[in-house]
Amino acid sequence: MLELVGVVHRYESRIVLDIERFQVPPGSGVAIVGPNGSGKSTLLRLLALLERPTQGEVRLDGAVVTGTSGARRRVTLVEQRPVLFRGTVRENLRFGLEVRGTKRTDVNRVIDNVAGRLGITSLLNRRRHELSDGEVQRVAVARALAVEPDVLLLDEPTSSADRAAAQTLYRALAEERARRPLAICLASHQLEDAYRWADDVRALAEGKLAPVTPENLFRVELPPGTGDAGLKHVCVGSIEVAATTDKTGPAILAVSPTDIFVSREPLASSARNVFSGRVTRLSHRRPGVVHVAADVGVELVAVITEDAVRDLGLVPGGPVVFSFKASAVRVF
Amino acid sequence: MDFLAEGFRRALALLFSADAEVTGIALLTLKIGLLATLVACGLGIPVGFMLATKAFWGRRAALTVVNTALAFPTVVVGLLLYGFLSRRGPLGGLEWLYTWQAIVVGDVLLAFPIAAALAAAAVQGVDPRIRRTAQTLGAGRWRTAWTVAREARFALAAVITTAFGHVVAEIGSAMTVGGNIRGQTRTLTTAVALYTSQGDFGLALALGLILLLLALLVNVALQVLQGRGGVGHA
Repeated sequence: MLELVGVVHRYESRIVLDIERFQVPPGSGVAIVGPNGSGKSTLLRLLALLERPTQGEVRLDGAVVTGTSGARRRVTLVEQRPVLFRGTVRENLRFGLEVRGTKRTDVNRVIDNVAGRLGITSLLNRRRHELSDGEVQRVAVARALAVEPDVLLLDEPTSSADRAAAQTLYRALAEERARRPLAICLASHQLEDAYRWADDVRALAEGKLAPVTPENLFRVELPPGTGDAGLKHVCVGSIEVAATTDKTGPAILAVSPTDIFVSREPLASSARNVFSGRVTRLSHRRPGVVHVAADVGVELVAVITEDAVRDLGLVPGGPVVFSFKASAVRVF
Repeated sequence: MDFLAEGFRRALALLFSADAEVTGIALLTLKIGLLATLVACGLGIPVGFMLATKAFWGRRAALTVVNTALAFPTVVVGLLLYGFLSRRGPLGGLEWLYTWQAIVVGDVLLAFPIAAALAAAAVQGVDPRIRRTAQTLGAGRWRTAWTVAREARFALAAVITTAFGHVVAEIGSAMTVGGNIRGQTRTLTTAVALYTSQGDFGLALALGLILLLLALLVNVALQVLQGRGGVGHA
Protein backbone atom coordinates (compact mmCIF):
# COMPACT_ATOMS: atom_id res chain seq x y z
CA MET A 1 0.00 0.00 0.00
CA LEU A 2 1.40 3.38 -1.07
CA GLU A 3 -0.06 6.33 0.78
CA LEU A 4 0.30 9.98 1.61
CA VAL A 5 -0.56 10.90 5.18
CA GLY A 6 -1.10 14.46 6.41
CA VAL A 7 0.71 15.93 3.45
CA VAL A 8 1.05 19.65 2.91
CA HIS A 9 3.40 20.57 0.09
CA ARG A 10 4.59 24.08 -0.70
CA TYR A 11 6.46 25.70 -3.56
CA GLU A 12 8.02 28.83 -2.10
CA SER A 13 5.29 29.77 0.38
CA ARG A 14 2.35 28.69 -1.79
CA ILE A 15 0.52 25.54 -0.74
CA VAL A 16 0.13 23.34 -3.82
CA LEU A 17 -1.10 20.21 -2.12
CA ASP A 18 -3.01 19.68 1.12
CA ILE A 19 -4.13 16.08 1.56
CA GLU A 20 -5.12 14.35 4.78
CA ARG A 21 -4.84 10.83 3.36
CA PHE A 22 -4.45 9.36 -0.11
CA GLN A 23 -4.04 5.64 -0.62
CA VAL A 24 -3.13 3.43 -3.53
CA PRO A 25 -3.96 -0.11 -2.33
CA PRO A 26 -2.04 -3.08 -3.80
CA GLY A 27 -3.37 -4.14 -7.18
CA SER A 28 -5.81 -1.23 -7.37
CA GLY A 29 -6.60 1.10 -10.25
CA VAL A 30 -6.91 4.65 -9.00
CA ALA A 31 -7.58 7.66 -11.21
CA ILE A 32 -7.07 11.24 -10.14
CA VAL A 33 -8.99 13.73 -12.19
CA GLY A 34 -8.94 17.47 -12.04
CA PRO A 35 -8.28 20.55 -14.08
CA ASN A 36 -4.79 21.68 -15.08
CA GLY A 37 -2.94 23.12 -12.11
CA SER A 38 -4.99 21.20 -9.57
CA GLY A 39 -1.89 19.44 -8.19
CA LYS A 40 -2.14 16.07 -9.98
CA SER A 41 1.49 16.02 -11.17
CA THR A 42 2.80 17.17 -7.79
CA LEU A 43 0.79 14.43 -6.08
CA LEU A 44 2.32 11.83 -8.40
CA ARG A 45 5.86 13.14 -7.85
CA LEU A 46 5.39 12.84 -4.09
CA LEU A 47 4.04 9.30 -4.48
CA ALA A 48 7.03 8.50 -6.72
CA LEU A 49 9.39 9.70 -3.95
CA LEU A 50 10.92 12.24 -6.32
CA GLU A 51 10.02 15.11 -4.00
CA ARG A 52 9.71 15.14 -0.24
CA PRO A 53 6.52 16.67 1.12
CA THR A 54 7.06 19.89 3.04
CA GLN A 55 4.94 18.34 5.80
CA GLY A 56 3.58 14.84 6.24
CA GLU A 57 4.68 11.37 5.22
CA VAL A 58 4.81 9.01 2.30
CA ARG A 59 4.32 5.43 3.44
CA LEU A 60 4.96 2.21 1.60
CA ASP A 61 3.42 -0.85 3.22
CA GLY A 62 3.00 1.14 6.41
CA ALA A 63 6.63 2.24 6.69
CA VAL A 64 7.61 5.87 6.23
CA VAL A 65 9.86 6.17 3.17
CA THR A 66 12.13 8.86 1.81
CA GLY A 67 13.67 9.20 -1.63
CA THR A 68 15.91 6.18 -1.56
CA SER A 69 16.57 4.16 -4.68
CA GLY A 70 15.49 0.97 -2.85
CA ALA A 71 11.94 2.24 -2.30
CA ARG A 72 11.92 3.94 -5.69
CA ARG A 73 12.48 0.59 -7.35
CA ARG A 74 8.97 -0.41 -6.30
CA VAL A 75 7.26 2.75 -7.57
CA THR A 76 7.75 4.12 -11.08
CA LEU A 77 6.39 7.32 -12.57
CA VAL A 78 5.79 8.14 -16.23
CA GLU A 79 5.57 11.91 -16.53
CA GLN A 80 3.06 13.77 -18.64
CA ARG A 81 5.69 14.73 -21.21
CA PRO A 82 8.23 11.96 -20.69
CA VAL A 83 11.80 12.18 -21.95
CA LEU A 84 13.91 9.42 -23.35
CA PHE A 85 17.59 9.07 -22.59
CA ARG A 86 20.23 9.42 -25.26
CA GLY A 87 20.41 6.22 -27.28
CA THR A 88 17.96 3.85 -28.89
CA VAL A 89 14.56 2.80 -27.61
CA ARG A 90 16.05 -0.60 -26.73
CA GLU A 91 18.75 1.10 -24.65
CA ASN A 92 16.06 3.11 -22.88
CA LEU A 93 14.12 -0.04 -22.03
CA ARG A 94 17.35 -1.62 -20.82
CA PHE A 95 18.09 1.20 -18.34
CA GLY A 96 15.90 0.15 -15.42
CA LEU A 97 16.79 -3.52 -15.90
CA GLU A 98 20.53 -2.78 -15.80
CA VAL A 99 20.04 -0.69 -12.67
CA ARG A 100 18.43 -3.74 -11.06
CA GLY A 101 21.22 -6.03 -12.18
CA THR A 102 18.98 -8.15 -14.41
CA LYS A 103 20.94 -10.88 -16.20
CA ARG A 104 21.94 -10.01 -19.75
CA THR A 105 20.16 -13.08 -21.08
CA ASP A 106 16.90 -11.98 -19.46
CA VAL A 107 17.14 -8.32 -20.49
CA ASN A 108 16.41 -8.84 -24.19
CA ARG A 109 13.60 -11.28 -23.44
CA VAL A 110 11.91 -8.75 -21.12
CA ILE A 111 12.41 -5.90 -23.61
CA ASP A 112 10.97 -7.86 -26.55
CA ASN A 113 8.04 -8.98 -24.43
CA VAL A 114 7.06 -5.51 -23.17
CA ALA A 115 7.70 -3.92 -26.57
CA GLY A 116 5.35 -6.47 -28.16
CA ARG A 117 2.62 -5.74 -25.64
CA LEU A 118 2.82 -1.98 -26.24
CA GLY A 119 3.20 -2.25 -30.00
CA ILE A 120 6.61 -0.62 -30.15
CA THR A 121 8.71 -3.52 -31.48
CA SER A 122 9.34 -1.67 -34.74
CA LEU A 123 10.69 1.30 -32.78
CA LEU A 124 13.32 -0.57 -30.75
CA ASN A 125 16.28 0.56 -32.84
CA ARG A 126 15.16 4.14 -33.29
CA ARG A 127 16.54 7.11 -31.42
CA ARG A 128 14.48 9.67 -29.56
CA HIS A 129 14.55 12.30 -32.28
CA GLU A 130 13.05 9.77 -34.70
CA LEU A 131 9.89 9.32 -32.60
CA SER A 132 6.62 11.25 -32.41
CA ASP A 133 5.33 12.52 -29.05
CA GLY A 134 2.82 9.68 -28.90
CA GLU A 135 5.55 7.10 -29.57
CA VAL A 136 7.76 8.63 -26.88
CA GLN A 137 4.86 8.30 -24.45
CA ARG A 138 4.36 4.61 -25.29
CA VAL A 139 8.10 3.92 -25.02
CA ALA A 140 8.15 5.63 -21.63
CA VAL A 141 5.30 3.43 -20.40
CA ALA A 142 7.07 0.35 -21.76
CA ARG A 143 10.28 1.44 -20.02
CA ALA A 144 8.38 1.71 -16.74
CA LEU A 145 6.56 -1.62 -17.18
CA ALA A 146 9.82 -3.40 -18.04
CA VAL A 147 11.05 -3.02 -14.46
CA GLU A 148 7.84 -4.55 -13.07
CA PRO A 149 7.11 -2.02 -10.31
CA ASP A 150 4.54 -2.69 -7.58
CA VAL A 151 3.00 0.71 -8.28
CA LEU A 152 2.91 2.42 -11.67
CA LEU A 153 2.14 6.13 -11.66
CA LEU A 154 1.00 7.63 -14.95
CA ASP A 155 0.57 11.35 -15.55
CA GLU A 156 -1.82 11.93 -18.48
CA PRO A 157 -0.46 8.86 -20.31
CA THR A 158 -2.57 9.38 -23.42
CA SER A 159 -2.23 13.14 -23.78
CA SER A 160 -0.16 12.76 -26.97
CA ALA A 161 -1.71 9.50 -28.18
CA ASP A 162 -4.32 8.98 -30.85
CA ARG A 163 -7.36 6.83 -30.07
CA ALA A 164 -5.80 3.57 -31.30
CA ALA A 165 -2.58 4.16 -29.36
CA ALA A 166 -4.55 5.01 -26.23
CA GLN A 167 -6.53 1.77 -26.56
CA THR A 168 -3.33 -0.23 -27.01
CA LEU A 169 -1.93 1.39 -23.90
CA TYR A 170 -4.99 0.71 -21.74
CA ARG A 171 -5.17 -2.86 -23.04
CA ALA A 172 -1.51 -3.40 -22.13
CA LEU A 173 -2.12 -1.98 -18.66
CA ALA A 174 -5.14 -4.23 -18.16
CA GLU A 175 -3.12 -7.28 -19.27
CA GLU A 176 -0.31 -6.34 -16.91
CA ARG A 177 -2.75 -6.06 -14.00
CA ALA A 178 -4.28 -9.40 -14.91
CA ARG A 179 -0.83 -10.98 -15.04
CA ARG A 180 0.50 -9.77 -11.70
CA PRO A 181 -0.53 -7.61 -8.72
CA LEU A 182 0.19 -4.15 -10.10
CA ALA A 183 -1.35 -1.01 -8.65
CA ILE A 184 -1.83 1.84 -11.11
CA CYS A 185 -2.48 5.43 -10.18
CA LEU A 186 -3.28 7.60 -13.15
CA ALA A 187 -3.78 11.34 -13.39
CA SER A 188 -6.03 12.52 -16.16
CA HIS A 189 -8.33 15.31 -17.10
CA GLN A 190 -10.35 12.88 -19.26
CA LEU A 191 -13.08 11.39 -17.11
CA GLU A 192 -14.02 8.85 -19.76
CA ASP A 193 -10.58 7.28 -19.65
CA ALA A 194 -10.57 7.32 -15.88
CA TYR A 195 -13.94 5.59 -15.58
CA ARG A 196 -13.12 3.09 -18.30
CA TRP A 197 -10.54 1.24 -16.30
CA ALA A 198 -10.15 2.70 -12.78
CA ASP A 199 -11.77 1.08 -9.74
CA ASP A 200 -11.68 4.34 -7.88
CA VAL A 201 -11.90 7.86 -9.35
CA ARG A 202 -10.94 10.79 -7.14
CA ALA A 203 -11.22 14.46 -7.89
CA LEU A 204 -8.47 16.92 -7.10
CA ALA A 205 -9.09 20.65 -7.09
CA GLU A 206 -6.77 23.42 -5.92
CA GLY A 207 -4.47 20.84 -4.32
CA LYS A 208 -7.23 19.24 -2.26
CA LEU A 209 -9.20 16.07 -2.73
CA ALA A 210 -12.64 17.35 -3.66
CA PRO A 211 -15.51 16.10 -1.51
CA VAL A 212 -17.60 15.44 -4.62
CA THR A 213 -17.56 13.19 -7.67
CA PRO A 214 -15.17 14.39 -10.36
CA GLU A 215 -17.79 15.30 -12.95
CA ASN A 216 -19.04 18.85 -13.37
CA LEU A 217 -16.12 20.50 -11.59
CA PHE A 218 -15.34 24.02 -12.72
CA ARG A 219 -12.79 26.59 -11.68
CA VAL A 220 -14.63 29.91 -11.44
CA GLU A 221 -14.25 33.48 -10.30
CA LEU A 222 -17.04 34.40 -7.88
CA PRO A 223 -18.17 38.02 -8.15
CA PRO A 224 -18.27 40.18 -5.01
CA GLY A 225 -21.57 40.85 -3.23
CA THR A 226 -24.73 38.79 -3.34
CA GLY A 227 -27.73 39.13 -5.62
CA ASP A 228 -31.42 38.49 -5.03
CA ALA A 229 -32.22 36.00 -2.28
CA GLY A 230 -28.53 35.25 -1.67
CA LEU A 231 -28.07 33.98 -5.22
CA LYS A 232 -24.94 34.54 -7.24
CA HIS A 233 -24.78 34.14 -10.97
CA VAL A 234 -21.43 32.66 -11.90
CA CYS A 235 -20.01 32.47 -15.40
CA VAL A 236 -19.09 28.89 -16.35
CA GLY A 237 -18.02 28.68 -19.97
CA SER A 238 -20.79 30.35 -21.94
CA ILE A 239 -23.55 29.82 -19.35
CA GLU A 240 -24.42 31.48 -16.05
CA VAL A 241 -24.96 29.16 -13.12
CA ALA A 242 -27.05 30.29 -10.15
CA ALA A 243 -25.47 29.28 -6.84
CA THR A 244 -26.13 30.08 -3.20
CA THR A 245 -22.87 31.23 -1.71
CA ASP A 246 -21.42 34.25 0.03
CA LYS A 247 -17.86 33.49 -1.09
CA THR A 248 -16.00 35.71 -3.54
CA GLY A 249 -12.92 35.30 -5.71
CA PRO A 250 -11.42 32.09 -7.16
CA ALA A 251 -13.34 28.93 -6.25
CA ILE A 252 -14.30 25.48 -7.44
CA LEU A 253 -17.92 24.96 -8.38
CA ALA A 254 -19.35 21.43 -8.41
CA VAL A 255 -22.67 19.92 -9.38
CA SER A 256 -23.24 16.29 -8.53
CA PRO A 257 -24.46 14.33 -11.59
CA THR A 258 -27.19 12.79 -9.43
CA ASP A 259 -28.58 16.25 -8.61
CA ILE A 260 -29.36 17.04 -12.26
CA PHE A 261 -32.87 16.43 -13.60
CA VAL A 262 -32.92 15.31 -17.22
CA SER A 263 -35.84 16.02 -19.55
CA ARG A 264 -36.61 16.62 -23.20
CA GLU A 265 -38.43 19.94 -22.55
CA PRO A 266 -37.88 22.64 -19.90
CA LEU A 267 -39.80 21.71 -16.74
CA ALA A 268 -41.91 24.05 -14.61
CA SER A 269 -40.01 23.61 -11.35
CA SER A 270 -38.13 25.34 -8.57
CA ALA A 271 -34.80 24.75 -10.30
CA ARG A 272 -32.95 28.02 -10.89
CA ASN A 273 -30.64 26.43 -13.43
CA VAL A 274 -32.24 25.17 -16.63
CA PHE A 275 -30.02 24.58 -19.66
CA SER A 276 -30.93 23.20 -23.05
CA GLY A 277 -28.38 21.43 -25.23
CA ARG A 278 -27.48 18.27 -27.13
CA VAL A 279 -26.46 14.86 -25.83
CA THR A 280 -22.80 14.27 -26.58
CA ARG A 281 -22.31 10.86 -24.98
CA LEU A 282 -24.18 8.06 -23.25
CA SER A 283 -21.84 5.95 -21.10
CA HIS A 284 -22.91 2.70 -19.45
CA ARG A 285 -20.46 2.42 -16.59
CA ARG A 286 -22.50 0.32 -14.17
CA PRO A 287 -25.39 -1.99 -14.88
CA GLY A 288 -28.65 -0.08 -15.07
CA VAL A 289 -27.02 3.34 -14.82
CA VAL A 290 -26.16 5.73 -17.65
CA HIS A 291 -23.95 8.82 -17.55
CA VAL A 292 -25.47 11.36 -19.91
CA ALA A 293 -23.01 13.98 -21.11
CA ALA A 294 -24.48 17.02 -22.80
CA ASP A 295 -23.16 20.21 -24.29
CA VAL A 296 -25.28 22.96 -22.76
CA GLY A 297 -22.71 25.69 -23.25
CA VAL A 298 -20.27 23.67 -21.17
CA GLU A 299 -20.17 19.92 -20.85
CA LEU A 300 -22.30 18.68 -17.95
CA VAL A 301 -22.83 15.07 -16.91
CA ALA A 302 -25.99 13.68 -15.34
CA VAL A 303 -26.58 10.18 -14.02
CA ILE A 304 -29.93 8.53 -14.74
CA THR A 305 -31.25 4.99 -15.12
CA GLU A 306 -31.30 3.06 -18.37
CA ASP A 307 -35.11 3.04 -18.17
CA ALA A 308 -35.13 6.85 -18.01
CA VAL A 309 -32.85 7.06 -21.05
CA ARG A 310 -35.19 4.79 -22.95
CA ASP A 311 -38.36 6.62 -21.83
CA LEU A 312 -36.90 10.01 -22.75
CA GLY A 313 -35.57 8.68 -26.06
CA LEU A 314 -32.13 10.15 -25.45
CA VAL A 315 -29.63 9.58 -28.23
CA PRO A 316 -26.25 11.18 -28.97
CA GLY A 317 -26.89 14.42 -30.83
CA GLY A 318 -30.49 14.58 -29.65
CA PRO A 319 -32.00 17.44 -27.61
CA VAL A 320 -31.92 17.40 -23.82
CA VAL A 321 -32.59 19.77 -20.93
CA PHE A 322 -30.61 19.70 -17.69
CA SER A 323 -32.13 21.32 -14.57
CA PHE A 324 -30.74 21.67 -11.07
CA LYS A 325 -31.40 23.81 -8.02
CA ALA A 326 -29.09 26.62 -6.97
CA SER A 327 -28.66 24.85 -3.64
CA ALA A 328 -27.34 21.78 -5.49
CA VAL A 329 -24.34 23.82 -6.65
CA ARG A 330 -21.45 23.28 -4.24
CA VAL A 331 -18.81 25.94 -3.93
CA PHE A 332 -15.48 25.38 -2.17
CA MET B 1 56.62 43.32 -42.76
CA ASP B 2 60.02 41.71 -43.37
CA PHE B 3 60.33 41.36 -39.67
CA LEU B 4 57.07 39.40 -39.46
CA ALA B 5 57.83 37.26 -42.51
CA GLU B 6 61.27 36.44 -41.16
CA GLY B 7 59.64 35.51 -37.86
CA PHE B 8 57.26 33.06 -39.57
CA ARG B 9 60.11 31.55 -41.62
CA ARG B 10 62.16 31.00 -38.48
CA ALA B 11 59.16 29.55 -36.68
CA LEU B 12 58.43 27.02 -39.41
CA ALA B 13 62.09 26.03 -39.63
CA LEU B 14 62.22 25.41 -35.89
CA LEU B 15 59.02 23.44 -35.95
CA PHE B 16 60.12 21.14 -38.77
CA SER B 17 63.65 20.68 -37.44
CA ALA B 18 62.26 19.32 -34.15
CA ASP B 19 64.57 21.58 -32.16
CA ALA B 20 65.39 19.88 -28.84
CA GLU B 21 64.72 22.95 -26.73
CA VAL B 22 61.42 23.71 -28.44
CA THR B 23 60.34 20.06 -28.15
CA GLY B 24 61.26 20.00 -24.46
CA ILE B 25 59.28 23.14 -23.72
CA ALA B 26 56.27 21.83 -25.63
CA LEU B 27 56.32 18.46 -23.89
CA LEU B 28 56.65 20.06 -20.45
CA THR B 29 53.74 22.38 -21.23
CA LEU B 30 51.65 19.42 -22.39
CA LYS B 31 52.51 17.43 -19.26
CA ILE B 32 51.68 20.31 -16.93
CA GLY B 33 48.52 21.20 -18.86
CA LEU B 34 47.12 17.67 -18.98
CA LEU B 35 47.92 16.93 -15.34
CA ALA B 36 46.48 20.22 -14.08
CA THR B 37 43.36 19.80 -16.24
CA LEU B 38 42.90 16.24 -15.01
CA VAL B 39 43.12 17.25 -11.35
CA ALA B 40 41.09 20.46 -11.73
CA CYS B 41 38.30 18.75 -13.69
CA GLY B 42 38.45 15.65 -11.50
CA LEU B 43 37.68 17.84 -8.50
CA GLY B 44 35.77 20.67 -10.13
CA ILE B 45 33.22 18.73 -12.19
CA PRO B 46 31.86 16.74 -9.20
CA VAL B 47 31.70 19.99 -7.22
CA GLY B 48 29.82 21.58 -10.12
CA PHE B 49 27.41 18.62 -10.12
CA MET B 50 26.82 19.09 -6.42
CA LEU B 51 26.27 22.83 -6.78
CA ALA B 52 23.77 22.22 -9.57
CA THR B 53 21.82 19.36 -8.05
CA LYS B 54 22.03 19.46 -4.25
CA ALA B 55 20.08 21.85 -2.09
CA PHE B 56 22.25 22.71 0.90
CA TRP B 57 22.81 25.65 3.17
CA GLY B 58 25.27 28.12 1.57
CA ARG B 59 24.83 26.76 -1.95
CA ARG B 60 24.12 30.17 -3.43
CA ALA B 61 27.16 31.65 -1.65
CA ALA B 62 29.32 28.76 -2.91
CA LEU B 63 28.15 29.39 -6.48
CA THR B 64 28.97 33.09 -6.10
CA VAL B 65 32.46 32.27 -4.79
CA VAL B 66 33.14 29.86 -7.65
CA ASN B 67 31.87 32.32 -10.25
CA THR B 68 33.94 35.12 -8.74
CA ALA B 69 37.03 32.91 -8.77
CA LEU B 70 36.67 32.63 -12.55
CA ALA B 71 38.02 36.14 -12.80
CA PHE B 72 40.85 35.64 -10.33
CA PRO B 73 44.05 37.21 -11.80
CA THR B 74 46.59 34.49 -12.53
CA VAL B 75 49.46 36.53 -11.16
CA VAL B 76 47.65 36.95 -7.83
CA VAL B 77 47.11 33.19 -7.60
CA GLY B 78 50.81 32.78 -8.34
CA LEU B 79 51.69 35.31 -5.67
CA LEU B 80 49.57 33.62 -2.99
CA LEU B 81 50.94 30.22 -3.94
CA TYR B 82 54.45 31.66 -3.82
CA GLY B 83 53.76 32.68 -0.23
CA PHE B 84 52.62 29.17 0.66
CA LEU B 85 55.45 27.37 -1.12
CA SER B 86 58.32 29.67 -0.17
CA ARG B 87 60.76 28.40 2.42
CA ARG B 88 58.99 30.31 5.23
CA GLY B 89 55.50 29.41 4.00
CA PRO B 90 53.28 26.68 5.44
CA LEU B 91 54.03 24.37 2.47
CA GLY B 92 57.72 25.27 2.25
CA GLY B 93 58.70 21.78 3.41
CA LEU B 94 57.56 20.37 0.09
CA GLU B 95 60.35 22.30 -1.66
CA TRP B 96 58.13 22.70 -4.70
CA LEU B 97 58.87 26.37 -5.40
CA TYR B 98 60.43 26.78 -8.86
CA THR B 99 59.46 23.24 -9.88
CA TRP B 100 56.97 22.07 -12.49
CA GLN B 101 54.84 20.67 -9.66
CA ALA B 102 54.34 24.21 -8.35
CA ILE B 103 53.10 25.28 -11.78
CA VAL B 104 50.64 22.35 -11.75
CA VAL B 105 49.30 23.41 -8.34
CA GLY B 106 48.88 27.00 -9.53
CA ASP B 107 47.12 25.86 -12.68
CA VAL B 108 44.81 23.58 -10.69
CA LEU B 109 43.87 26.52 -8.47
CA LEU B 110 43.08 28.55 -11.59
CA ALA B 111 41.21 25.84 -13.49
CA PHE B 112 39.21 24.43 -10.57
CA PRO B 113 36.66 27.28 -10.44
CA ILE B 114 36.34 27.12 -14.22
CA ALA B 115 35.55 23.41 -14.07
CA ALA B 116 33.15 23.81 -11.15
CA ALA B 117 31.26 26.85 -12.46
CA LEU B 118 30.95 25.61 -16.04
CA ALA B 119 30.03 22.07 -14.94
CA ALA B 120 27.31 23.51 -12.69
CA ALA B 121 25.97 25.51 -15.63
CA ALA B 122 26.19 22.44 -17.90
CA VAL B 123 24.26 20.24 -15.46
CA GLN B 124 21.69 22.94 -14.80
CA GLY B 125 21.14 23.03 -18.55
CA VAL B 126 20.07 19.37 -18.64
CA ASP B 127 16.31 18.81 -18.71
CA PRO B 128 15.35 18.09 -15.06
CA ARG B 129 13.10 15.27 -16.26
CA ILE B 130 16.22 13.27 -17.19
CA ARG B 131 17.31 13.17 -13.57
CA ARG B 132 13.80 12.40 -12.31
CA THR B 133 13.37 9.66 -14.92
CA ALA B 134 16.65 7.99 -13.96
CA GLN B 135 15.63 8.14 -10.29
CA THR B 136 12.14 6.78 -10.84
CA LEU B 137 13.59 3.89 -12.83
CA GLY B 138 15.57 3.00 -9.72
CA ALA B 139 18.99 4.51 -10.46
CA GLY B 140 21.09 5.34 -7.42
CA ARG B 141 23.08 8.53 -6.94
CA TRP B 142 26.04 7.62 -9.16
CA ARG B 143 24.04 6.11 -11.98
CA THR B 144 21.76 9.16 -11.98
CA ALA B 145 24.77 11.48 -12.10
CA TRP B 146 26.27 9.45 -14.96
CA THR B 147 22.98 9.61 -16.88
CA VAL B 148 22.82 13.39 -16.46
CA ALA B 149 26.50 13.67 -17.46
CA ARG B 150 25.82 11.73 -20.68
CA GLU B 151 23.11 14.20 -21.57
CA ALA B 152 25.45 17.11 -20.85
CA ARG B 153 28.44 15.54 -22.57
CA PHE B 154 29.01 18.37 -25.07
CA ALA B 155 28.89 21.02 -22.40
CA LEU B 156 31.13 18.97 -20.11
CA ALA B 157 33.63 18.44 -22.93
CA ALA B 158 33.62 22.20 -23.37
CA VAL B 159 34.41 22.49 -19.65
CA ILE B 160 37.51 20.31 -20.10
CA THR B 161 38.74 22.14 -23.20
CA THR B 162 38.14 25.52 -21.57
CA ALA B 163 40.07 24.42 -18.47
CA PHE B 164 42.93 23.06 -20.60
CA GLY B 165 42.98 26.19 -22.73
CA HIS B 166 43.15 28.38 -19.64
CA VAL B 167 45.90 26.27 -18.08
CA VAL B 168 48.25 26.19 -21.09
CA ALA B 169 47.67 29.87 -21.89
CA GLU B 170 48.24 31.33 -18.43
CA ILE B 171 51.57 32.96 -17.68
CA GLY B 172 51.25 34.86 -14.39
CA SER B 173 51.23 31.91 -12.03
CA ALA B 174 53.69 29.81 -14.09
CA MET B 175 56.20 32.66 -14.11
CA THR B 176 55.83 33.44 -10.39
CA VAL B 177 56.02 29.92 -8.93
CA GLY B 178 57.92 28.23 -11.78
CA GLY B 179 60.59 30.83 -12.31
CA ASN B 180 60.97 30.12 -16.04
CA ILE B 181 64.05 27.97 -15.48
CA ARG B 182 65.47 26.62 -18.72
CA GLY B 183 64.98 22.88 -19.10
CA GLN B 184 63.01 22.65 -15.83
CA THR B 185 60.07 25.03 -15.55
CA ARG B 186 60.10 26.87 -18.86
CA THR B 187 56.65 26.49 -20.43
CA LEU B 188 55.44 27.72 -23.80
CA THR B 189 53.93 30.93 -22.41
CA THR B 190 56.86 31.87 -20.19
CA ALA B 191 59.25 31.09 -23.03
CA VAL B 192 57.28 33.23 -25.47
CA ALA B 193 57.46 36.14 -23.02
CA LEU B 194 61.19 35.63 -22.49
CA TYR B 195 62.18 35.26 -26.16
CA THR B 196 60.02 38.21 -27.20
CA SER B 197 61.72 40.41 -24.61
CA GLN B 198 65.08 39.14 -25.87
CA GLY B 199 64.14 40.06 -29.45
CA ASP B 200 64.04 36.46 -30.73
CA PHE B 201 60.72 36.95 -32.45
CA GLY B 202 61.00 33.83 -34.63
CA LEU B 203 61.50 31.49 -31.68
CA ALA B 204 58.69 33.19 -29.75
CA LEU B 205 56.40 32.83 -32.75
CA ALA B 206 57.32 29.16 -33.20
CA LEU B 207 56.41 28.49 -29.58
CA GLY B 208 53.18 30.46 -30.00
CA LEU B 209 52.25 28.32 -33.00
CA ILE B 210 52.93 25.16 -31.01
CA LEU B 211 50.67 26.48 -28.25
CA LEU B 212 47.87 26.89 -30.78
CA LEU B 213 48.59 23.44 -32.19
CA LEU B 214 48.38 21.87 -28.72
CA ALA B 215 45.02 23.49 -28.06
CA LEU B 216 43.78 22.26 -31.44
CA LEU B 217 45.00 18.70 -30.81
CA VAL B 218 43.33 18.49 -27.40
CA ASN B 219 40.06 19.78 -28.85
CA VAL B 220 40.17 17.23 -31.66
CA ALA B 221 41.02 14.42 -29.23
CA LEU B 222 38.05 15.35 -27.03
CA GLN B 223 35.71 15.43 -29.98
CA VAL B 224 36.87 11.98 -31.02
CA LEU B 225 36.33 10.73 -27.45
CA GLN B 226 32.79 12.10 -27.49
CA GLY B 227 32.06 9.79 -30.38
CA ARG B 228 29.73 10.58 -33.20
CA GLY B 229 27.73 13.03 -31.16
CA GLY B 230 26.72 15.58 -33.72
CA VAL B 231 23.33 17.17 -34.16
CA GLY B 232 20.69 14.55 -34.68
CA HIS B 233 22.50 11.82 -32.79
CA ALA B 234 20.56 12.13 -29.58
